[in-house]
Amino acid sequence: MGEEILRVENLHVSVEGTPILNGMNLVIHRGEIHVIMGRNGAGKSTLASVVMGHPAYEITQGSIHYMGTDLQEMDVFERARAGMFLSFQYPAVIPGVKVGTFLKKSVQAVRNEEVKGREFRKELNEAMASLEMQKSVTNRYVNDGFSGGEKKRLEILQMLLLKPHLALLDETDSGLDIDALRIVSRGINAIAPNAGCLIITHYQRLLDHVKPHFVHVMIDGAIVQSGGPELAHKLESEGYEWLDAPKEA
Amino acid sequence: MKYADLAVPSRALHLWRYTPWARIHPTSVDAVPEAMPIRFSLIEGGAELVDGAPRILDGDDIARVFLSELGSSATTVQPDGSSEVVHLQAVASGHVAVGHLHLDFTRDTVVVLHLSGEADWTGLHITGAVAANTRSAFGLVNELSSNGKLLHCEDWTIERDAFLELAGLSIGGFRCKSDLRTRFLNPGGRLNQAISVHGSGQRHVDHHVEIYHDVPHTDSSLNVHAACDDSSHSITTGLLTIAENANHCDAGQVFKNLLLSEKARAEAIPELEVLADEVAAAHGAASAPVDPDQLHYLMSRGLDEESAVALLIEGFMQAGFSSLKHDALVDEMRTRLTVHLECELKR
Repeated sequence: MGEEILRVENLHVSVEGTPILNGMNLVIHRGEIHVIMGRNGAGKSTLASVVMGHPAYEITQGSIHYMGTDLQEMDVFERARAGMFLSFQYPAVIPGVKVGTFLKKSVQAVRNEEVKGREFRKELNEAMASLEMQKSVTNRYVNDGFSGGEKKRLEILQMLLLKPHLALLDETDSGLDIDALRIVSRGINAIAPNAGCLIITHYQRLLDHVKPHFVHVMIDGAIVQSGGPELAHKLESEGYEWLDAPKEA
Repeated sequence: MKYADLAVPSRALHLWRYTPWARIHPTSVDAVPEAMPIRFSLIEGGAELVDGAPRILDGDDIARVFLSELGSSATTVQPDGSSEVVHLQAVASGHVAVGHLHLDFTRDTVVVLHLSGEADWTGLHITGAVAANTRSAFGLVNELSSNGKLLHCEDWTIERDAFLELAGLSIGGFRCKSDLRTRFLNPGGRLNQAISVHGSGQRHVDHHVEIYHDVPHTDSSLNVHAACDDSSHSITTGLLTIAENANHCDAGQVFKNLLLSEKARAEAIPELEVLADEVAAAHGAASAPVDPDQLHYLMSRGLDEESAVALLIEGFMQAGFSSLKHDALVDEMRTRLTVHLECELKR
């Protein structure tokens, strides 16, 4: 078992007074791939957002520790510089900011060093080639006019360049065609051996390409069931009803 | 019409509501002070600068009449087509500086004018004629000293099947009033105009843009992006006129403001006057602070808040030029903007 990367204990989170997470517990070690599945509104994306420090979410109880450090003391950019990465379900569109400029600034900020142009271009070209991305993407504005698949590839490209210790992937597979799914999965598998990965998904099909160590089911803001990859298959065939608490007669 | 015969314009007029004549006049409104000529020179590129320019006066417009009476010196730029881009410099010095630059676009050319200097007050009149079936572009980079005033008028005419792109980058001067007018003379003309403004300190920048579709089958597009910080104030008023029988015109105006502080102000007032039936005309305006989702996204990639906001400002202003087709013009405007913003950040 690798070192502990993320520890979530009894986490309660609210948005504008509405509870979303209700006693969430999760521990991720380096080299582990965890998958969280659940119905819409179960709190999956909230978990990813709150771990990354989105200011809209308020932690009302519990704690999150990243590599032994209490995350509540860290600003969003400090989390990124410490090696945390969130692949957004809906990445922001930033008109006027070119992808190439953005990537270089991000890499420099996270690595805390001046990145030399030639070396960065070489590294960028290799990463883009592995994701079958065209070089011209670097001259486009960040996510501006991108298709769903292009946005997700750009997220994975950033992950490859930033080499995080913890990768949170929020529905990275949604909206991808079969080829794009295969390519994005390749990116996840490239980073996974040296990081802790948390994948949020609705579909078992991603797990044909990325082999998880643990699959968790979230209902009403907490994990109600955990298991291996077979759990994802069961959910695919039987849905979530069998996990619902029995209703009183 | 002489300046002395003109009445001070009423603030009820669209054009003078936000920057009254008395606030942009160099002295007291009755006076026509002594003025030093602006020095125009060629920095780079193939063009000839000759003394004199066609006298173009728009009737009784007070700003144009005033600029005309302030100074009689004028310069005409005639690009020779030997280079893709012509770089010109205009230096304003002394208490009051004034100049008239005329651009004679008879072949495909990009001209960029870099306006700088320490004058307390600068008056600049730019006129231009775009010949039939040419593709031309003009960019003005206002880099005047931060405590000067600028009164700036432009008058353009576009001939048959000609394409003109106009770009403005407003980063200099304390109080700036620009009155920019373009008129289509024959069918088939196209105008693509983009302006980016950066307001900081107590900077006051007022752009008034008039586009006249007097003839059918003419297209125009206007994009204005203003980023306002501190207690700065940006105003953009537009008047888009499509004359009766000027059918099959396509015209649009979009004004966007990015408000970076609680004291910053921005007005965006597009106005349409459409008298023809078979046209497409649209306008839109939006003012908003920094988008928290964009900020969070950049910060989640390691940029601290200050760097993330700076990148968003730069992107917002760069996007103002994204509609332009002349790459050389876009590159120049963006480079000047980037340099300006980097200098601002170091302060």
